[in-house]
Amino acid sequence: MSRPASPRKTPMPVPVPVPAASPDASAWLSTRGWQPFDFQREVWAAMAAGESGLLHATTGAGKTYAVWLGALQALANIENAAATARKVVAPPLSVLWITPMRALAADTLRALQEPLPALAPTWTVATRTGDTPSGQRAAQNKRLPTALITTPESLSLLLSRADAQAALSGVRVVVVDEWHELLGNKRGVQLQLALARLTCWQPNLVVWGMSATLGNLDQALHSLLGPQRIGRLVRGQTPKSLVVDTLLPLRAERFPWAGHLGMAMLPQVVHEIENSGSTLVFTNTRAQSELWYQALLEARPEWAGVIALHHGSLDRGVRDWVETSLKSGALRAVVCTSSLDLGVDFLPVERVLQIGSAKGVARLLQRAGRSGHAPGRPSRITLVPTHSMELVEGAAARAAVQAGQIEARDPPLQPLDVLVQHLVTVALGGGFAPDALLAEVRSTAAYADLSAEAWQWCLDFVSQGGASLVAYPDYHRVRPDENGVWRVPDARLARRHRANIGTIVSDASMVVQYRGGAKLGTVEESFAARLKPGDCFLFAGRLLELIRVHEMTAWVKRASGKKPAVPRWNGGRMPLSTALADAVVEQLAIAGKGDAPASPEMQAAQSMLSVQREWSALPTPQTLLAETFTSREGSHLFLYPFAGRHVHLGLASLFAWRVARQTPRTFSMAFNDYGFELLCADAVDWPTLLPQVLEAPLNDESLMEEVLASLNASELAQRRFREIARVSGLIFQSHPGEARSSKQLQASSSLFWEVFRKYDPGNKLLQQAESELLQQELDITRLHHALVRMASQTLVVKALERPTPFAFPLLVERLREKLSNEQLADRIARMVAQLEKAAGSSSNAPAADAVLATLAHGRDALADGSNRRPRRERKKSRPLPPL
Amino acid sequence: MDDSNTPQNTVQNTSHCAVQWSAETLHLLPENALWWPATQTLFIADLHLGKAASYRKLGQPVPAGSTQNNLQRLTQLIERHAPRHIVFLGDFLHAAAGRTPAVLLAMRIWRAQHAAMRMTLVRGNHDSHAGDPPIELGIVVVDEPWLIGPFAACHHPQIHATHFVLAGHSHPVVRLNGKGRDSLRLPCFVKDERDAILPAFGAFTGGHPVDGQAGRRLYAVGAGRVWAIPSSAQTGPA
Repeated sequence: MSRPASPRKTPMPVPVPVPAASPDASAWLSTRGWQPFDFQREVWAAMAAGESGLLHATTGAGKTYAVWLGALQALANIENAAATARKVVAPPLSVLWITPMRALAADTLRALQEPLPALAPTWTVATRTGDTPSGQRAAQNKRLPTALITTPESLSLLLSRADAQAALSGVRVVVVDEWHELLGNKRGVQLQLALARLTCWQPNLVVWGMSATLGNLDQALHSLLGPQRIGRLVRGQTPKSLVVDTLLPLRAERFPWAGHLGMAMLPQVVHEIENSGSTLVFTNTRAQSELWYQALLEARPEWAGVIALHHGSLDRGVRDWVETSLKSGALRAVVCTSSLDLGVDFLPVERVLQIGSAKGVARLLQRAGRSGHAPGRPSRITLVPTHSMELVEGAAARAAVQAGQIEARDPPLQPLDVLVQHLVTVALGGGFAPDALLAEVRSTAAYADLSAEAWQWCLDFVSQGGASLVAYPDYHRVRPDENGVWRVPDARLARRHRANIGTIVSDASMVVQYRGGAKLGTVEESFAARLKPGDCFLFAGRLLELIRVHEMTAWVKRASGKKPAVPRWNGGRMPLSTALADAVVEQLAIAGKGDAPASPEMQAAQSMLSVQREWSALPTPQTLLAETFTSREGSHLFLYPFAGRHVHLGLASLFAWRVARQTPRTFSMAFNDYGFELLCADAVDWPTLLPQVLEAPLNDESLMEEVLASLNASELAQRRFREIARVSGLIFQSHPGEARSSKQLQASSSLFWEVFRKYDPGNKLLQQAESELLQQELDITRLHHALVRMASQTLVVKALERPTPFAFPLLVERLREKLSNEQLADRIARMVAQLEKAAGSSSNAPAADAVLATLAHGRDALADGSNRRPRRERKKSRPLPPL
Repeated sequence: MDDSNTPQNTVQNTSHCAVQWSAETLHLLPENALWWPATQTLFIADLHLGKAASYRKLGQPVPAGSTQNNLQRLTQLIERHAPRHIVFLGDFLHAAAGRTPAVLLAMRIWRAQHAAMRMTLVRGNHDSHAGDPPIELGIVVVDEPWLIGPFAACHHPQIHATHFVLAGHSHPVVRLNGKGRDSLRLPCFVKDERDAILPAFGAFTGGHPVDGQAGRRLYAVGAGRVWAIPSSAQTGPA
């Protein structure tokens, strides 16, 4: 798809017929009027020599043809064999093209097919993803195409076929598109394991990854190829020049301090779209994209049909239509999520708007790369702030881009849940001998140092449930047959395992379908479960009313005039990267000096910053700002270490724990990228306690112990366990159309969590939940650094009369964590007393209703038991958390 | 970590909550059971014996122990109250796959310890799939509604024309919220005008949240006590 920029185009294409017997990629490119880039030639030569590697470049820089034409040339012999055979038969499966999103498969297919008639006429290419119709899949089961475009999950499914080796051992080249999207998560690990399997069957397997620019490219290459293979790192086309600017609010002094929807900026966004060619409007969540699409339509009803919506939950047909229309230039604007981050190269897009923080420099670059493909035009991304701090972030982002501070993505190490899933997959796909499989698993970067003990535990887990035989009577999933080959004897288990392979990425999803009509897409089951028949919600750009939910399908009809609930997907909440967070503190420090603001963003943020300075203070690299505040909720502490939300989560629970060790307490914790809040129902003497709490830890070990102890008092590890339970196959999800027979196996991860902790506390999946939390979420190293830095800073404690611009977003944050070491009875007694007070003071109905509302909606409808009118049900448009 | 969903073993004697339903005094017990002192009858809902075993049988590695725990807690209740009669309000067994030798043996041993006691099971939806308990356990199995005094013992919550319904099935839990954005999820008894629902007795069973709708009284179970949740003025005293 990607093509060189057009200055290289020659005016008259030279029609050179290319003999099929010797595919000459350069000649083919020149028939299209293009010259190959040096990096493309480098990849071709390396592939011809049987080398593996990683190609990195910005979006739309000709990566696809570098690798695809390289594969066609490297595999010329199979084309020759096929072409010279008496009867022309497509060569067997030889190339696997892995794409992280099935939405990209169709587009990739078109790109790969283009050179085939000239270069490899006997080859066939097809896709196989969750979107592939069953008929097509059945045909593929008989004969796979020469090149198959698929996802990591679908590849695992292929590996679980009994004839996996016969079907896949002919694969000579594997191409992993958008490797940066997989590198940092468990899907990437799943792929590492699959590649190890393919390499076993085909030792000369050539593996190429394609990646956006990352801070840790060497590690990305190492993770893709494993420790035993050396690969080549090829740098693609030099990046185009890039403009990062910010759409400024008209009245900066009225710009909100919190929120992430950004509707205040609607008029300016409409204006920008009006005055630009085709525009991509990136949002951070699907819910936000639905809202923005509606808002744009309401602002400009005449845009119906020329603006569109694109996110991963929409039906494939809708997505395809949007992509095609975007390419043909028929659309003025598309409101989208990360679903248009990847692939789908070379869209004729003129402007890119980013609503809310892009959270990281790499992501910003990726999205910016969508624009400015026209000759001589730079890429440009315009940030649309949703609250005042994002103005500062805009200035910070530009500084970070100029300084070239691009984040790294760290691959997960030894996630046992993925390994356990892989063991069952391989047991299904022809079975395994443990020793041979261990060697294979250790050939991946993720499991290179897997201990014999952890390996044995995984074998025990799939064969007898756990290390101890007595804990799991009657349980068997995988067991060795008479020849010592481990297999899955139960066909029903095999079926269920296959159905669950795809569940690494998402919660169970439910089809949204018109009664007797078209499918619109999918929503997460947890969202659908909260809706009652008659409730309305925005989806696929329409206002829908739920009729009923039946067998994993939500039947809907069009609704009008009612107020919708906004679907809230549990998509990842990415932290602000360290690079960006540090850049923000720098900007604040500059602002704190009182010089005239250097950038338009800082100028616009000035009114907010001066309020912050007036009511409290501005943080600087030398000072740590703490704010205390008493409300009817209780006593609040706000602290601003600017270390990113993950570290703040760790710091919040650590601090809460240190305080609660002195007196038993219950804390509610909120955190964002700039700081965190600790809220306690009882009064806390923070000015006295905080300096004690801030004491730097003696060493890493004692810090680790403390953090672990604080985790046990919170629900964080249990939350983490949910994903682990799903991946390792503890939770079987229902799927659309599935019979109800598996209903008796429905249990929530919290039930498993409890039962494991009680009866098998040594279970390694529990430990994994803890260590994942420490490594990935809390990031103990960053946490340590943050603590050391905070200890060296001067503490500035301000008692607030009202929440400051920095405190306000934390105060209204609804996604919270809890930490408690109080007696359960004390907590219940307090809640009951509060309700009693409320009910007692009220012979009047409103307060009574409020009691019920408190129970029903989980809201603190009446805090002081006064005769206050019950708080109105908050509007749905109130700030949802950013991403 | 709140352990509110895990029934606890130790409990003080004064921790129950006495209520008047259908002119009878009943005790809501913190062990998620209902005690009727006048007739010395104990009501237990949703035991789900053999649930973990059925998971294992169907390929889910759930550690053993919850069935033993259920039976032990039942025994403790029996020792404390010395009931003449136990009425199980359905879902005694979880699934046919859970009728493993180990589970059946545990049930037999437990029954032998209380051989003289009268036991009645009102069939629930799980029982109709899992099958009746083995005949030698001597548990009389009946269909809902099964009338006992002024009460109709049922599994599914429902309204009975003449009798006050005692039911299970829905595993009710209530969410409490407090100052400082604290919140807890606790199993509860639900009392409406003509029926009441018991919390699930079985360990390793989940819960479904109930609303505090008008006319309804909720009794949360937690920390070894039963807590009457204050109700609005519209709700008459129970």
